[in-house]
Amino acid sequence: MRIYSVDEVTGYLRELLEGDSLLTDLWISGEVSNLSQSAAGHLYFTLKDEASQLRCVLFRGERLDLTLENGAAVVAHGHISVYEVTGSLQFYVDLVQPEGVGILHLEFERLKAELEAEGLFEVARKRETPPFPRRIGVVTSPGSAVLHDITNIISRRYPLVELVLAPTPVQGDGAAEGIVGAIEALNEMEGIDVVIVARGGGSLEELWAFNEEKVARAIASSKAPVISGVGHDTDFTIADFVADLRAPTPSAAAELAVPHRSELESRIQSQQRALVAALGGEISQRGTELVHLTNRLRYLSPDIARYRQRIDELTKVTSIRVASLLTIDREQLRSQELELGALSPIATLSRGYAQVQHSATGEVVSRVGQIHRGDAIDVRVSDGMFKGRVTTLKKGLQAWLKNFPSKKG
Amino acid sequence: MAEELSFEEGLNRLEKIVQTLEAGGLSLEEAISLFEEGMQLAKICNQRLDAAELKISQLQTAFDQEIHNKGEAPC
Repeated sequence: MRIYSVDEVTGYLRELLEGDSLLTDLWISGEVSNLSQSAAGHLYFTLKDEASQLRCVLFRGERLDLTLENGAAVVAHGHISVYEVTGSLQFYVDLVQPEGVGILHLEFERLKAELEAEGLFEVARKRETPPFPRRIGVVTSPGSAVLHDITNIISRRYPLVELVLAPTPVQGDGAAEGIVGAIEALNEMEGIDVVIVARGGGSLEELWAFNEEKVARAIASSKAPVISGVGHDTDFTIADFVADLRAPTPSAAAELAVPHRSELESRIQSQQRALVAALGGEISQRGTELVHLTNRLRYLSPDIARYRQRIDELTKVTSIRVASLLTIDREQLRSQELELGALSPIATLSRGYAQVQHSATGEVVSRVGQIHRGDAIDVRVSDGMFKGRVTTLKKGLQAWLKNFPSKKG
Repeated sequence: MAEELSFEEGLNRLEKIVQTLEAGGLSLEEAISLFEEGMQLAKICNQRLDAAELKISQLQTAFDQEIHNKGEAPC
């Protein structure tokens, strides 16, 4: 046992109250009394009914949908805590509505205002859904007509996709938790491009799960963009406001999620036509260029003929020159041949003359004085040579002329 | 090459080819080769659409289990 201070006790009470799930978020109906306003602009009042009363405070800046006056029947939203300074229990009000509005409408308006203030509905937050999704997550009730419709529509429009069903109850106890769990499970999967959250039409009560804060927050924090298709086109849920794309019905959600096959086919067809037209254009442009070039060539052709003629002439002149040069050379060659023939010793030898060489010295003998009797000599005639020995030496012209073969005639 | 493209990639490539061809300035060989590639892509895209069958799989969720156990199926 120990003794507590007052502050410890009020602090403990406060923690206790503020940790209670019912007392932190509740609606209370009652009649307004003892209304006063502080200098700071906060409103203080008491909510009472036949049996009890509760101290209330509404801080300046909180939402007030009516003028508060004593005796007014209202429904207020807020949380209960302890005001430690006076040790009194207080209802901290954040929203006051007139009595007579259904609780679901009240809660809808309250949450809508809260999330809107947080910026969860802003257009800038909305993500584009991919034009060609590969995997679509579908959060709805298993085996329902809604699921059947979604499957049919997607199969007809864009069968290239894979549907990943995340079954969940969509109304009644646990529906909100189920929807949240399904969205989270899809987000844990790889490659989910878009999530459809859908439910068929129903009353506000039947659609209620889609107005719960946890569902709204699960949609807002989904990695993949979310398309909502809840109820009919006149039904708006909080889920619709938070979703990246709101479809008026589940079927419309399926249609918005995928491209239409016939649009794709006509898109492909128009690209094919454009291809043919573009290549046709290229080819006809080349054809035009070709005609152009041909015309230019034709225009230039006289010049070519002239050059060809000139070349012909030049060729003719050149060949004449070359031929005459060749003729001249040939004549020169013949006369040089003759000269060469005249100088050749073979020609001389063939006329009967012989060349005599001293065998020992190799000296050509042209005078008697170069030789002595008994010397060995080499004698060359036109077709060979023979050796001999000098037996007689005679000097002088008389000796030379004797027995010299005389010329014919 | 074109066989491995997704439908989206195929269609994007086809549209890019048309743009390139329409912009001109290509050699005739390049133009013809792009044309052939484009026609092939158009064919493949159409075949993909014709041959596709919707695939459906189902996640096992805690609530799914519960539903099966209870044997109820709310709309």
